[in-house]
Amino acid sequence: MSDDVRTIDVAGRVTKRRSGPRTGGLQVADSRPPVIDGLVVGVRCTVCRHPSPQPVLRCPVCFGEVAPERFGPGGIVWSSTVVHLRVSGREPPFALAYVDLDDGPRILAHLEGAARVMPGTRVSVVGAADGDIQVSA
Amino acid sequence: MSREVVIRGVGTSHFGAFPEKRVEELAWEAAVEALEDAATERSELGAFLVGSVFGPPGIAARVGRGLGIGSVPAYAIEAACASGTAAFHEAVTGVADGRFDCALVLGVEQLSTLFSGAIVPEATDPEGATGLPLPGLYALQAERYRHLYGLDDEQLAAVAVKNKRHGLRNPRAHLAAELTVGEVLESRMIAEPLTLLQCCPTSDGAGALVVSTARGEPGEVRVRASALVSGEPWDHRNPEEWGRLSVARAAEQAYAQAGVSAEEIDLFEVHDAFTIGEIITLEALGIAPSGEGASLAVSGHTAFGGAQPVNASGGLLSRGHPLGATGTAQIAEMAWQLRGHAGERQVAGAELGLVETMGGGAAGMDGNACVVTVLSKS
Repeated sequence: MSDDVRTIDVAGRVTKRRSGPRTGGLQVADSRPPVIDGLVVGVRCTVCRHPSPQPVLRCPVCFGEVAPERFGPGGIVWSSTVVHLRVSGREPPFALAYVDLDDGPRILAHLEGAARVMPGTRVSVVGAADGDIQVSA
Repeated sequence: MSREVVIRGVGTSHFGAFPEKRVEELAWEAAVEALEDAATERSELGAFLVGSVFGPPGIAARVGRGLGIGSVPAYAIEAACASGTAAFHEAVTGVADGRFDCALVLGVEQLSTLFSGAIVPEATDPEGATGLPLPGLYALQAERYRHLYGLDDEQLAAVAVKNKRHGLRNPRAHLAAELTVGEVLESRMIAEPLTLLQCCPTSDGAGALVVSTARGEPGEVRVRASALVSGEPWDHRNPEEWGRLSVARAAEQAYAQAGVSAEEIDLFEVHDAFTIGEIITLEALGIAPSGEGASLAVSGHTAFGGAQPVNASGGLLSRGHPLGATGTAQIAEMAWQLRGHAGERQVAGAELGLVETMGGGAAGMDGNACVVTVLSKS
């Protein structure tokens, strides 16, 4: 950048974006499914049984009424990766997997150990760390 | 479409990291180039439609101020990475339906003043809050593809080698290079199996398009089809990678509107934010059956000089990916190609082209939106 370029200092900069407290922003509602007694809390449609990991007000498939339900702890890995970036305070490397919980929804979880596992591998929910769902093969 | 629609003029900024510039400066560079290319007076414009993800809020008014566009409808459209082509789609339908005769479409994004490195995931989204960065989302696609069809890391890398090489002929590209498959695979790991050189740069830039009714003037590029689809819920019922079905739905609509098939398309500009994205997209567009898209870059089918060049501009991997600007940059490139004005990277016999842009990132959705448009020489 040349000397005559003028910019505003970073300090005190306010953006309109909700980056969340982990990256220096303001508090936001936690949208991650809670884990209670080792089970993932979501909802299931009372009409068509479609499970959702988010607390939707109506079933996204049939618009039926939903009721709270706990899912897991077992499931199978749909796909997994190991992230080598520092993401919102999480130290790399860490593994993430989409997991289809038994008779339940597909969730995104942190996978124990920094290694990919084959899709189809059986895993279990072992809890949550700082709100992130944890699974183990 | 009820009225025939054409692109009369196109323009872009350079693409790169320009934190010293104002967002408006990037936009004005593209808009002035497009208006001059179209030989269009500002008084002819009936709408000003802006595609941008991170704005700033009020972007249409802030940019419009420097162009003196007047009091016609001016607003921003946000559809993640497809924002620019979503704004284009709105302009095309507006002209086709007779809401206005001529519109200026702008796509603009400045990422260098928002993020130092990869885009920070959206904290309000359950997957973003869980720490899934965008390359991670595509990495999960790649590992699923590998499970379903088989995939060699070298096939992924071949896409990066091709597009980074294409970018060497594009003086406005952000990062272009002559690379080997080995160099791509040995670059820093980002999200397994995707290495740094398989990820688009986070860039700043703008693109602009003047869209109007057909007037039979030279330089007009005919809009044969424009289809915008939203993502549908993507969950435990879906064995396939997220995004694949969204692209396929948009493509089906676009091919039907244009009355053409994938084999007839001479060249493509598609959403290669990450190498796996180009592979799955080309399958969804019908260029190769599922599981065979990974061989297209390796065989040379999609290279400059190949049977169906893909991303002759360098694509997002080389030009860069200023989110809202990307779709307009893709369409500008296709217009230059179809007019025969693409210089060193001119594809021989470019008469029928397809542009695809995919926006994603919302948890549990098969993409946020996908736009597919088919363009031809008038």
